[in-house]
Amino acid sequence: MSTLTVESSRFGSLELDASQAIQFPAGLIGLGGHAYVLLRTSDDASFSWLQSLEDPELALPVTNPWQFFADYVVDLSDEDTERVGDAAVDVWVTVRAGAELSDFRANLRAPILVANGVGYQMINEAPDVPVRAPLFDGALAGQAA
Amino acid sequence: MLIITRKAGERVMVGDDIVVHVMELVGGSVRIGIEAPRSIPVYREEIYAAVREENLAAAEAPGELPKAAEFPPHPSGTQS
Repeated sequence: MSTLTVESSRFGSLELDASQAIQFPAGLIGLGGHAYVLLRTSDDASFSWLQSLEDPELALPVTNPWQFFADYVVDLSDEDTERVGDAAVDVWVTVRAGAELSDFRANLRAPILVANGVGYQMINEAPDVPVRAPLFDGALAGQAA
Repeated sequence: MLIITRKAGERVMVGDDIVVHVMELVGGSVRIGIEAPRSIPVYREEIYAAVREENLAAAEAPGELPKAAEFPPHPSGTQS
């Protein structure tokens, strides 16, 4: 099995199995990039990273939306449903980090769907889905400050 | 920018593969249908801009993020 080496600006030199690469035919919206890998930097199921294989400085924190938003629903257009096909899909949402936990936001409007090593960032057509959903309740998150 | 005038029911070709249909005009709105190859995603501009901004902001994150043990007891979505 072939190995990839990524000199990541955040995580240093990463040795990865080439089969872990995720191809994004259309890139991430407005960011581009056609090859990424998912990094789990801790075992505690908090945040993972989508690290670009093309740009060592490009990495986005992502999370499993249902960990924070139990009733999250993704509703895709017919065209996007066809793109993903019938395969088992992993769903991630990007995270905007903040100085405090109360400032952390998840983009529920544009989830990233990964199936069979191919990824797409798609628009969730469900009504009233925010681009910046607070990950933590403000009052509770205040305790962490 | 190319500016062309079209009536409802008329179309515009963008290259060989993209067809823009002007479907109907109601009040101040135009209904547009777009046929494009699967490899070309189509977005409403304001959503594209908002998601782009969010992706760029996410990419600014430092390499060290809080661990689950540091999270407050209840994430947002499970609040009643």
